Amino acid sequence: MVSERAGRRWVVGVDVGGTFTDAIAASSDGRVVVAKVPSTPQDPGDALERALRELSGQGVSPGAIQMIFHGTTVATNALLTGRTARVALATTRGFRDVLGYRTGSRPLVYDLTQPRPRQLVRRADRVEVDERLSGLGEVVTPLTRAEADRAAEAIAALRPDAVAVCLLFSYLDDAHERILGEALARRLPGIPVTLSASVAREFREYPRTSTAVINAGLRPVVGRYLLGLGSRLRALGAPSRLHIMQSNGGCLPAERAAEQAHRLVLSGPAAGVAGTAALGASYGLRQLVSLDMGGTSLDVCLIPDGVPPVAPRQEIDGSPILAPSVDIVTVGAGGGSIARVDRSGRLLVGPESAGARPGPAAYGHGGDQATLTDAHVVAGTLPADLPLAGALTLDADAARAALEPVARSLGLEAGEAADGIIRLAVAQMTAALRRVSVQRGIDPRGYALVAFGGAGPLHAGLLLRELGFRTALVPRFPGLFAASGLTSTDIRIDDSRTVLAPLAPGLAGELASWYAAAGRRLAAQLRRDGIPRGRIRLAASADCRFAGQGYELSVPVTPRGPAGVAALAARFRELHLRAYGHADPDQPVEVVTVRLSAFGALPVAGADRPAGDAAPPGDAASAGDAAPPGLEPPGAAGFTRPGAAARIGRAAVRLPGAPAVRAVPVYDRERLGAGTAVRGPAIIHQLDATTVVLPGQRARVDDRGTMWLEERR
Amino acid sequence: MRTGTGSARRGARRRAQAIDPITFELASAALRATAVEMGEVLKHSSYSPIIREMDDFSCAIFRADGDLVAQADFIPAQLGAMSLVVKEIIERWGAGIAPGDAYLANHPYHGAMHTPDLNVIMPVFLGGRLFGWVGTAAHHIDVGGVRPGTEGPDLGEIYAEGLLLPPVRLYRGGAENPDVFAIVGAAVRDPVSTLSDLRAQRAACLVGERRVTELAGRHGARVLASVFDQMLDAVERAVRLDLAGLPDGAAEAEGFLDDDGAGGPPTRVHVRLAKHGDRLVADLSGSAPQVRGAMNVPWASTRASVVYAVRAMTDPARSTNDGVLRAVEITCPRGTVLNPDPPAAVSVRHNTCQRLADTLIRAASEIWPDRAIASSTVAFFGMNLASRSPRTGAMSVMAEVVGGGTGAHAAGDGLDGVDTYMANVGLMPVEVAESSYSVRILRTELIAGSQGDGTFRGGLGIRREYQVLGEDSAVTFYSEQTDPRFAPRGARGGGDGSPSKITVLGPDGRELPVGSKASLVLAPGSVIRIETSGGGGYGDPAGRDPALAEADREDERG
Repeated sequence: MVSERAGRRWVVGVDVGGTFTDAIAASSDGRVVVAKVPSTPQDPGDALERALRELSGQGVSPGAIQMIFHGTTVATNALLTGRTARVALATTRGFRDVLGYRTGSRPLVYDLTQPRPRQLVRRADRVEVDERLSGLGEVVTPLTRAEADRAAEAIAALRPDAVAVCLLFSYLDDAHERILGEALARRLPGIPVTLSASVAREFREYPRTSTAVINAGLRPVVGRYLLGLGSRLRALGAPSRLHIMQSNGGCLPAERAAEQAHRLVLSGPAAGVAGTAALGASYGLRQLVSLDMGGTSLDVCLIPDGVPPVAPRQEIDGSPILAPSVDIVTVGAGGGSIARVDRSGRLLVGPESAGARPGPAAYGHGGDQATLTDAHVVAGTLPADLPLAGALTLDADAARAALEPVARSLGLEAGEAADGIIRLAVAQMTAALRRVSVQRGIDPRGYALVAFGGAGPLHAGLLLRELGFRTALVPRFPGLFAASGLTSTDIRIDDSRTVLAPLAPGLAGELASWYAAAGRRLAAQLRRDGIPRGRIRLAASADCRFAGQGYELSVPVTPRGPAGVAALAARFRELHLRAYGHADPDQPVEVVTVRLSAFGALPVAGADRPAGDAAPPGDAASAGDAAPPGLEPPGAAGFTRPGAAARIGRAAVRLPGAPAVRAVPVYDRERLGAGTAVRGPAIIHQLDATTVVLPGQRARVDDRGTMWLEERR
Repeated sequence: MRTGTGSARRGARRRAQAIDPITFELASAALRATAVEMGEVLKHSSYSPIIREMDDFSCAIFRADGDLVAQADFIPAQLGAMSLVVKEIIERWGAGIAPGDAYLANHPYHGAMHTPDLNVIMPVFLGGRLFGWVGTAAHHIDVGGVRPGTEGPDLGEIYAEGLLLPPVRLYRGGAENPDVFAIVGAAVRDPVSTLSDLRAQRAACLVGERRVTELAGRHGARVLASVFDQMLDAVERAVRLDLAGLPDGAAEAEGFLDDDGAGGPPTRVHVRLAKHGDRLVADLSGSAPQVRGAMNVPWASTRASVVYAVRAMTDPARSTNDGVLRAVEITCPRGTVLNPDPPAAVSVRHNTCQRLADTLIRAASEIWPDRAIASSTVAFFGMNLASRSPRTGAMSVMAEVVGGGTGAHAAGDGLDGVDTYMANVGLMPVEVAESSYSVRILRTELIAGSQGDGTFRGGLGIRREYQVLGEDSAVTFYSEQTDPRFAPRGARGGGDGSPSKITVLGPDGRELPVGSKASLVLAPGSVIRIETSGGGGYGDPAGRDPALAEADREDERG
């Protein structure tokens, strides 16, 4: 399937962010080329094309690009701005308002003036259909062909761009939805029709309706965008083997991305998590925490067994989507987070952010509010006199001027206030990391932190000390890490079905045969995508709970046959005890939803791409929580101190929590070769990020340019 | 450093009395996060749908004297409520309180709110001394009594409302107290859920105890104790600052329940609100004497209603604690519906609390017209239907709450079909209801035209129909605002929302006569139809933006 060309071949990742579009190209012989261009929100394809042209200028010939991986915000932005296609919705008679009353609860409990949520479908565009199933899936009112045709006619009269169909209990039996779908296809050829049971075969009518409607509303938008990208790539002379990142951390061939458009909503943040898993796998590390900190927010994800965990649903702009999504905890703490003192004298950091514009006061773009970045400039952890990406230099006077009012309100000096702001922000970051680890019964001491984004490496040493991670890795290009993560992903397809039955012996056979059938179906799709049989693997799980509970825990099913199903109850009890501190040995367990994921490893050979791929989740023995000893970075027999050329200055720094300013050496990361060890305190500077090494810590650079931070023992 | 010596010494002195602002913020944020973490443990591992789906629970951290310093504010109805229980434990058990104990309490005349709310509270000891408390309160679906689901609007005495527990020791020295577990297990209709949820509540307390101990290890017990004190001071100061920034004034408002719960006349709730400087006085003494039915409100709930209204009208985003009550005075004589004497029944007190919250907000809207908000529905249709699982045939109780429209305000329209004010209970999905209970839901729709008109319009009420399947089924339901005089009020020239309506049809389609509250046995095929109120409108309807009017037409809102 991959044409053999003479010479160097490239794999390219392109990540579209709010401010910048990043591209990274990795060649079959180990070269890495990067490009960073401003994003173009009107048509993100413009920036993507420009990034490819920049790569081309650095020797990445479009014709030699074997594959392009793309993280896109097209679906997210369409939903957030309401620029989705106009959807007509067909529902069971008596229930057209499910999108109106939603869950029946208020998004904000205490706010009496909160805005009414935006309607996904106008009420006039919802059509009720005579049909009904019971709660056990029996037909109460059959759907006649005449009624299906009448409904299709009524929908056609609305002249919609797309149609969604969601009938009650279709997760038990989707025959009525299919009859209606056929009638719609006859009456409205060329108009996309989404059946709820086809996109999310799960119970609870509101989230399933919302998912079907979001899919229908995005299909034309995403389809148009990808069509445009295809012709841009052809015009550039790049073969259009394009893969799109999904919310679940895996990618999808572009040809199938439009029909799965609701699965692309977390495309951006998922890339960094996928990159973390791939980086860890390349070092044999399977217990990882990714920390992606940019200007406005912090995304944290705990990867317990080499494969990023997914949550079965997500929410955007208040609307649920039943699509597996990388389980990221996001908090409003970024470099641009604004520090202020409220009227009662409390110091607050974030969640308001100065964003990219005006940005921190130190950027000199007119910002005058104190931000976390300004606090670092005043503390000296971000030295003011060094160049940064985007031809930026930091203005220390502006940062200090912005901090003064905050310091005055607290009765502190500017340096003390800066220290307080940094420590408060680190406390928020620590809280986010605890939420994904300690609060889920997981000890972070067995885990490696991977810190990236513009502001991640600045805090890596502090978090290492605070939570006692095994080590903290700072990738070679922290600011471009999401783009490089894209190139390391597998194709991933998910399937699920709500079962809602007690875990009895009779059910085991039924579940095992669902897993087998779904496995055949997904594997066949991956083979159609060009993945050879030997590079396909499957991972099964079941959402279980004690009969009577309302929340489920996801339990891996290994092996996928009857033996794995038989072990479910015991495994569930163990997980429940660990997560919540109690588990009733006598209470029956029920299965709510069964899930299967299929991974297809793409046969590309990029330098950043680990060869073997992670083992399937749950199949390998977990390393458990016990803290293993320190880790040795690969590739160097012994580590030596950096040469004099790498040291580019000294900065007066007040290290977080330290009572006074001290002189700290500053190193240039570009000049820290493999095998170098830097003792803290130190500041390591590069264009896209700054790393702070605390006293008592050291940073070692391995042969791939990754920096390993650890406490000196 | 040379010049720093003097100031460092001054700093040290200052810190001995009042810790530095950074430490305060770090520790208080950690305590608030701890309360939330306790809540997550409870919510995700509980059996009672009221806890897990409806968030009808609270978790909090208390000072040694029982004052509440940090609370996870999932549900306004329980704001600050548990501190009266902690004070009761201290009074009752005093020197006998020991590490590893956990207390269980639900007695409405000993600090609790109504019998289904079971409080589990644990002391935190540091260095052998009582340092503080952690606790949870959660609504269990049934604690015994005359009616399935325990609640009954017509019940006349607290003794009919299930098992009564003044603070007793659920755990002693870390071990379960089997006597208490046996008594509770024998008295309730679903012992598996109840006992499991009590264990989940205690598991949440253990998490809280561990975190408070860790924090004390980190900052020192003395520093943490002064963080507790300052958290109370900070909330008091913030509320006083908010109040001081508002114009002085006084206003009164009244509101009514449809009846007294037992078929009697409407029950009056009256508020006289006066703001002077940085203090607020809520005088509730014009409210009705305590009533025959179960609409009476124990003191903990009356307090929670006032704390809720203060938060909603000042800074909804700010977490509260008992510091609020230092800036707000509540007066209400004993023997009234808002401060009853035993043995008055209280199980349906939530309807009265909702009415009180609405009346407080209307009085506040009079004093501060630029913050005026139209009334949300307080119809609060609640229903307990004895039923069976259609799969297994096991007996169970379907507990349902249906919301309605919220009030419009100066910034926009109200919300459609949601629970209002002091609770935030979701509507049960049809696919959950019909797979768990012998019931069919025939329709669920928003009622066009149920909203109050105005420059901004109220949200819409809900129409939902339940058909009983299978066998004769006992049902208890209660609602308000079926009397048109008590429908949600508009504000500043906006129109009123619609009244609510309950209709019961026998299997033959004939209408049975029912009021706004009833306990009945229904034959299979019977239908209960509930239509809840829309919210009040805000401002002159003539001022409505034509674009919004056009959107109303497209949304067929009437």
